[in-house]
Amino acid sequence: MIEVSGLTKAYGPRVALDDVSFTVQKGEIVGFLGPNGAGKTTTMRILTGYIPATAGVAKVAGFDVFDEPYAVRERVGYLPETPPLYPELSVGDYLQFCAELRGVPRARRAGRIGETMERVGLRGWEGRLLGSLSKGYRQRVGFAQAILHDPPVLILDEPTSGLDPAQVAGIRELVLSLAGSHTVILSTHILSEVEALCPRALVIHRGRLVAQGTLDELRALAPGGAWTYVEVRGIEGPQLGRLPGVRVVEPLGEVQGWAAWRVRAEGDPREMLAARAQAGEFSLRALERRAPSLEEAFIGVVGREGAAA
Amino acid sequence: MSGVYTIWKKEMRVYAVNPTAYAFLAVFLFLSGLFFYLGVTLTGEASLRVLSSNLAIAELFVLPMLTMRHFAEERRQGTLEMLLTSPISPFALVLGKWLASVTLCVLMFLGTAVLPAILAYYGEPDWGVVATTYLGLFLAACAFSAAGLFSSSLLDDQLAAGLVGVLLLLPFWLVGRAEALVGDDLAAKLQPFGVLTHLESFGRGVLDTADIYYFLAMSFAFLFLTTRSLESRRWR
Repeated sequence: MIEVSGLTKAYGPRVALDDVSFTVQKGEIVGFLGPNGAGKTTTMRILTGYIPATAGVAKVAGFDVFDEPYAVRERVGYLPETPPLYPELSVGDYLQFCAELRGVPRARRAGRIGETMERVGLRGWEGRLLGSLSKGYRQRVGFAQAILHDPPVLILDEPTSGLDPAQVAGIRELVLSLAGSHTVILSTHILSEVEALCPRALVIHRGRLVAQGTLDELRALAPGGAWTYVEVRGIEGPQLGRLPGVRVVEPLGEVQGWAAWRVRAEGDPREMLAARAQAGEFSLRALERRAPSLEEAFIGVVGREGAAA
Repeated sequence: MSGVYTIWKKEMRVYAVNPTAYAFLAVFLFLSGLFFYLGVTLTGEASLRVLSSNLAIAELFVLPMLTMRHFAEERRQGTLEMLLTSPISPFALVLGKWLASVTLCVLMFLGTAVLPAILAYYGEPDWGVVATTYLGLFLAACAFSAAGLFSSSLLDDQLAAGLVGVLLLLPFWLVGRAEALVGDDLAAKLQPFGVLTHLESFGRGVLDTADIYYFLAMSFAFLFLTTRSLESRRWR
């Protein structure tokens, strides 16, 4: 549904996007992950036809965004980082305007507006002025504007930034309700967002696509691999570290009188640890393999300074 | 072109609740009343002659203030991104906004209709001249709004856009009156580019196609420049 190859964007000497290529299949929800200023918004603006690429090709629903911008625009719903609202207009007038702007046929307008308001939880808000809405409701109206013409492709730029947890949950529910029927690209710098919404993610850093894949594939990129979590008695950290294959030992405090550690070793150390415990070297209460977090993978891929930005 | 009406309707809705628009409307009506009073009492004629040239100058200052909001504010609100990624063309967008400000000017002129009514009550104005005077003011309003839209498309700040709009138009006012500065010969050559040169004949009741073309050409030149300025981000 979305094909991008060799996309490059330079603002004068500054390269905002450097040879980015990826594809998104129909019905997929893909997370676009990266520190602030990595090039997420630039990519989205190119996909929506707002700015042209310096080099490379981007196709949405089979149409080139530069050669056939109007065909692309009809098929894309776009929620920019700040919802594009006119404070002077009421919710109803605004959505009416958007429906006309997007070319929703006259006969279907009232129906589409009603359905959309229902869907985003704005029923009964027709008369409210946009300027008087809270941030969460402004975001809902922005979302309504993006899905109003029922586009097959949705491009959402940081759809939950600045919202409170309940509002974030509301927007996430909306995004999930689009899965399967719509192709969605959503950008974010919040890792839990990607984990909650996107089976697959693209990681962009300093204008380059540095990783892409399913979340499990991305987690596997964490330097050092998986952790093994243990709760033990009768053995101290240095001794744990001297067990065969163990490379890293980190204390995680005490749980009900048991010392909790996480251990990283060559291969899977669980069998060895269980055997040692059985031999009476120490007592073992918990033994669990834990995949590295997305955060570790992210930091591994973009570096500490990138993750902190 | 289907988007033109959509944009026009939205702009009229926004104008209707925009306090700045009302403030400048009030300024314009006050100035027209003042110029009318001065013109009639100084000349003792039942005509709009003095009013028409002075009101054109008032338009030159007021219209960029009425149009300054258009693109500067859309850009600040982030709505320009929505408009330019929607299936309507930049030219349709510019045209819809221009027609909305021209419509506002017509409403503004309706507000001054009381002035010829006063003339008719106390004297016998030449209705033909009144009609051409209004036509001249209307055409000037078309051209000045287009210039205001252009400066609004260039700048992010509304007020700066309004002031630059006025600065863009000042040469068109002054060029016909530059004898002292550039000498009589050059001034005569520059005369055809001045707004007042072309408004004068409307004020005398003369309809010359050259004058009409002058204002239409100025309108379309600025509308074209505005469209190009919006499209320029496609090659910057």
